[in-house]
Amino acid sequence: MFAALAAASLFGFWRRFGPILGKILQSKKDPGFHLFPIGRRVRDFVWEVIFQAKVIRERPLAGVAHALVFWAFCAFALVTLNHCATIFGLGFLDPAGPAGRFYFDFAAFFAAACAVGILALFVRRFVAQPKWLGELSWGSGLIAMLIFALMVTYLAAFFVPATSDAARPLWWAHTLTLLVFLPLIPHTKHLHLVLSPFTVFLSRDGFAQIPPLVGDEDFGLVAGKDLTQLVSLQAYSCVECGRCMEHCPANNTGKLLNPKEIVLGLRGYLNEYGPHSEEPLLGKYNAQEAAFECTTCGACEFQCPVGIEHVPIIVGLRRGAVNTGAWENDYGAKLFLALERGSNALGMGSAERDKFVEKNGLPIFDGTQEYCLWLGCMGAYDPRGREIVVTLVRVMRYLGASFGVLRKEKCTGDPVRRLGNDLLFQQLAESNLEALAQSETRKIISICPHCVRTIQEDWKAYGTPPEVEHHSEFLARHSGELSLVPGHGLTDREKSIPEGGSVSGHDRGTHPVSGSRAEIGPKPSGSLAPEGPAKERIVFHDPCYLGRYRGVYDEPRRVAALAGELIEAPRSHERSFCCGAGGGLVFLGEEKGERVSHVRAEELAATGASVVGTACPFCNTMFRDAFAAKGEAAPELMDIAQLAARGLPE
Amino acid sequence: MAGERESSKMKIVVAIKQVPDRDTPVHIAADSKWIDEGDLQWAMNEPDAYALEEALLLKESAGAGEVIVVSAGPERVGSTIREALAKGADRAIQIVCDDLNSRDALGVARLLAAAIKPENPDLVLTGLQSEDVGLGQTGVIVAELLGLPHATMILHVEKTGAGLKVKRELEEGWFQSIELPTPAVLTMQSGGNKLRYATLMGIKRAKTKEMRTLNAAELGADAAPAVVLEQISAPKKQKSTQILPGSAKEAAAALVEKLKTEARVL
Repeated sequence: MFAALAAASLFGFWRRFGPILGKILQSKKDPGFHLFPIGRRVRDFVWEVIFQAKVIRERPLAGVAHALVFWAFCAFALVTLNHCATIFGLGFLDPAGPAGRFYFDFAAFFAAACAVGILALFVRRFVAQPKWLGELSWGSGLIAMLIFALMVTYLAAFFVPATSDAARPLWWAHTLTLLVFLPLIPHTKHLHLVLSPFTVFLSRDGFAQIPPLVGDEDFGLVAGKDLTQLVSLQAYSCVECGRCMEHCPANNTGKLLNPKEIVLGLRGYLNEYGPHSEEPLLGKYNAQEAAFECTTCGACEFQCPVGIEHVPIIVGLRRGAVNTGAWENDYGAKLFLALERGSNALGMGSAERDKFVEKNGLPIFDGTQEYCLWLGCMGAYDPRGREIVVTLVRVMRYLGASFGVLRKEKCTGDPVRRLGNDLLFQQLAESNLEALAQSETRKIISICPHCVRTIQEDWKAYGTPPEVEHHSEFLARHSGELSLVPGHGLTDREKSIPEGGSVSGHDRGTHPVSGSRAEIGPKPSGSLAPEGPAKERIVFHDPCYLGRYRGVYDEPRRVAALAGELIEAPRSHERSFCCGAGGGLVFLGEEKGERVSHVRAEELAATGASVVGTACPFCNTMFRDAFAAKGEAAPELMDIAQLAARGLPE
Repeated sequence: MAGERESSKMKIVVAIKQVPDRDTPVHIAADSKWIDEGDLQWAMNEPDAYALEEALLLKESAGAGEVIVVSAGPERVGSTIREALAKGADRAIQIVCDDLNSRDALGVARLLAAAIKPENPDLVLTGLQSEDVGLGQTGVIVAELLGLPHATMILHVEKTGAGLKVKRELEEGWFQSIELPTPAVLTMQSGGNKLRYATLMGIKRAKTKEMRTLNAAELGADAAPAVVLEQISAPKKQKSTQILPGSAKEAAAALVEKLKTEARVL
């Protein structure tokens, strides 16, 4: 009787799981995938799967409840195996022996914890109903009840003597629950039980890594035939928890893009068309519009507890559309044409850069200086970016660091890389790599996290880039020397207000209020420190490409702290909320819905800070516009280089 | 509908020129006869890029047809031809000649006409002028050499039953709509369409497209140039600023006087 039911249960499981496994295995092999070095994989697996660290850290309450269920399942694996084996007289855990006794008690402890955990999750899903979980799914309710029943029947058996009348029905209740649970796994999102440990273990090395294109027929994710095994595995692993959408700047501001739906869209596609199909991926299941609303901030990928890598998937879909010419966008075409013919994403003549270099007396890099100062498009052509560069130069000169700039420089290709134009990216990367090799550059410093990331990681596809660091790292290394600058940490208004810069409420009326940034009204109350002069309250905004992409969080804070007291925004560090510029979106014109930059700027202003510290020229320009649009009291906006330079002799 | 489409199908030749990129600094060569080409970056002449775009749009809207690009110049011209193939041209003819700069407009037009004639195209398109020397004659002379009707400064081309209807740019925001039979030669103005960007797929496909090379000497189109380039020079940099003294009224009067007598714009 049991054998027949068990066979039916196994059949039910396999009938669904077999084809899924087939689709994953039949997908294209991942180019550039290496299992080794395996150390990182083991570490990730232990930390994220065994310890459930990511699950807990990002959503502590639900995370702990989930961890209790997970750990109980692990403990139960042996119990369940024994349970089934006993039926055939093959039981290996002797309930009378000390080892068996111990293990059953051990499992009972977890069973109790699990029952509590699953109840908590049930209440969360059906009573609290956070919107991230989407529509109520009765499958989830059923599964929760089955898990609860499994644990309760196990625990009840401890109180029922094996000889009593109740023992047998109890045994059957437990067994039947088990047999119903098994085939439900592949039919629901509980498939992640089986797949996600593999997904986490097999994930690509590094954050938001864009895989190489291989051969003459690979243009990115165009159709099913382009889906790789990793992408298919990830598509089936999604547990629909919605953390990605909870943190997605596009999804939070009324765009079509929902990273969860992108992944589930691929799953739907695979179910209908399979991994060999020529049917376009951007069509029935995923929209082109959504793919091009991503700022590539990586919040989704960072949050995902089952190892899904959203950024390579979304960039892959864009590659498919751009590399084949299917993406038609006036702004996009303008950007591409500007970079096909010119040197920078802003579409300016390169003579403008020459003039800037000459006017500010920036030395040309000749191989003898320590640093090659990479200007980037913003640093060379944007007025605010130029101010940051000039200030950094002032600090570098003060510190006695030798540097030079390249005679010619092209865009690193960051915006076209993220928008999926591989042809243009390759041309830009190769041209820059050649120029750097000729100039014998060994170390690059840049004010732009996008340049830093693209040079260090993305250029690798076409050569060996020199060492590169962000100016926050350089400045933090020298923060000891900089902290000795008189006036640092204090706001001596006469001395530290940069030219054309801020005027605080105290000075209103005596100085003109400059530009868009009108700071009106008294300082936040906390700004009056007992020792006398007012201290700045600085909130630092983590740029996505410095934080999540590069793991640099403390350095810019150390630099910003030179100029005042640091406070934190509600979303900071790994959870920082994008400014809206990344992924080439800064060049794509007006966005749908609310502007990402406005949401973030308001959040930063609401901290009551007198200064918003930035470390990326794109964030800087986005917030500048946002504060200007707001038109009322707004904090001062300063790059960390400008904060470091406060009080420096002119 | 199918018949209509069939009738709008055309064989279009686009003559393109490779010119120094707008963003590249230009220096005069030691002999003052031409610019120093050593360090230059090259690009497709912009009006020619619009001519190519118009040709591709005509082919796409007809659903059939052929677009052939022709370009004369040294080996480096190949990169611009490949760009045209990547954007969608079907095949290319390169006229290899290393002395393009010493040929006058007639000399270049002879080369182009000799290469175009055997193709018997329905339409020849080219930019209205080049961004380097800007003579604005080559396309018109090609029409004369081929014995075809032509129209200049065209923004838009439409295939009609018997021939073409074109939109021609006049001065001061005026346009002229004219009709002419095919085959014909049109010189295209910039800005009539939006240019497409080059794609990875286009470049990969371009590898397999035919690119025929013809030697200038073999075309039998050589003749002594009627115009010889003697010398080129950079415009003299001059900036003379005068501050007109006195009150606003006096300064304004002085300014008007100067605009009348010195600048002669009033």
